[in-house]
Amino acid sequence: MKKFINDPENLTAELLEGLAMANPDILELGEDNMVVNKKLAEADRVTIVTQGGAGHEPAIEGFVGEGMVDIDVVGDIFAAPGPQACVDAIKLADKGKGVLYIVLNHAGDMLTGNMTMKQCKKQGLNVARVVTQEDVSNATRENADDRRGLVGCIPTYKIAGAAAAEGGSLEEVAAVAQRFADNMATLAVAVRGATHPQTGTLLAELGDDEMEIGMGQHGEEGGGRQPMKSADETAAIMVNALVRDIGIEPGEKVMLIVNGSGATTLMEQLIVYRAAVKELAKQDIEVVANFVGEMLTVQEQAGFQMFMARMDDELLRLWNAPCNTPYLKK
Amino acid sequence: MIDRETFGRMLSASARLMLDNADVLSDIDSKFGDGDHGVTITKIAKLVQDHVAAWNDASIKDFLDDLGTAAMAVRGGSAGPLYGTMIGGLGVELGDDENELSADTARRMLAGCLAEMQDITNARVGDKTMMDALVPAVAAAQAVETSPGGAEAVFAAAAEAAENGARASEGFASKFGRARSYGDATIGTPDAGAVSTSLFFRGLAEGAAQR
Repeated sequence: MKKFINDPENLTAELLEGLAMANPDILELGEDNMVVNKKLAEADRVTIVTQGGAGHEPAIEGFVGEGMVDIDVVGDIFAAPGPQACVDAIKLADKGKGVLYIVLNHAGDMLTGNMTMKQCKKQGLNVARVVTQEDVSNATRENADDRRGLVGCIPTYKIAGAAAAEGGSLEEVAAVAQRFADNMATLAVAVRGATHPQTGTLLAELGDDEMEIGMGQHGEEGGGRQPMKSADETAAIMVNALVRDIGIEPGEKVMLIVNGSGATTLMEQLIVYRAAVKELAKQDIEVVANFVGEMLTVQEQAGFQMFMARMDDELLRLWNAPCNTPYLKK
Repeated sequence: MIDRETFGRMLSASARLMLDNADVLSDIDSKFGDGDHGVTITKIAKLVQDHVAAWNDASIKDFLDDLGTAAMAVRGGSAGPLYGTMIGGLGVELGDDENELSADTARRMLAGCLAEMQDITNARVGDKTMMDALVPAVAAAQAVETSPGGAEAVFAAAAEAAENGARASEGFASKFGRARSYGDATIGTPDAGAVSTSLFFRGLAEGAAQR
């Protein structure tokens, strides 16, 4: 394992300290690996809390700030934090208008999320939950509970954060975030696995001339192992799978994200993005919102996640609304 | 019938067993986890002892609810919240004034406990988690034939099945938690959580049998 690290046990603490030092005007560190929006104290609105393991930078903690996430409770590498810290974060975040708690669908995150919700209910806290579960590769849309949460959490934070900033009630913020989440889908492709930065374990192995469509963000197999294809061919396969899954019709508008997994160059991501937009144009589908680059990575995994969501005027307005986080500014 | 005093002794016996085996649990956990399961279990066991010592006139249901909430807050991985859910779960199906446990009441407690756990996790037997011990324990408790007053036999059956389940976890590849990234390499080592769960149930059975 060739990584610029120190003691593997201190990875999370050290990366969070670095993030805070690099963004002193945007966020600060709290108890229990909480990353907190520096302007949280002034918030007179619904606030956004989320949680997730470290090792996926810039996700998730890099999207804490005005207009997105108010508190991210960070776990250890690829590991969910405990529910007590999440309950504490929800209490800290609640400014009297309630808290939207966004959880990605992974076993550990859901365990924590379920326990957190139980505790919140018991304590009478005003919290609503949205689960992001948009990986089309490992379950059908009817079995969404089995779908993993991939990069789709990031635009969901953006939509929810903007709705909260506009002054929406908790019910309204949760509803628009849920509507966005219900109309999104992600498909991942990997060409090389990553190593676990603490244990040195290879998370997935792929042959030199192989790629795998549908690999999860910890190297989980997605079943679509096949010979390596060109950017245009790969983009077309993925675009069509996403369009089919969401049921996008000609004439509709979408958000399109090409998210590098960590070791795929921006050059490749842009070439894939170009192919995806062209493929969509052929089907008379317009891309009205986009992001090309790294939002949620898996160490040095090579490959990318392609994300698509059905857009309308309200969602587009929320996506384009101002935000100030370390890794997304509008 | 098991009364409040006996139930307190059962929990104390569980705490004692967990404390006595803390080093073993940490040792198992150090193979593929972060090696602190015994430390967390020690915190939980001490909490159990403190709560039992301070038990005044609360019902068994309220006592379990308080203890579960307290255990939920124990830091150190997911064991605190999971034990909190499991212990609190034992009380959810109890009535406010059910302070004498018959065999059927004991079965109901255990079924309620499993339902609470299944509410928060999708882990099944074979995934190398606490569920490897808990699921068979609850199933054995339902299946065992007893006299109406024989709650001891229900806990004894649960303990034996939990131990068998914990042993069987050796043969499984980890599907949850930090150990998951080691996959098949975890075969041959039992799950630390399944082992501590079997100790918890063994303690309940021993405490019930001591009367």
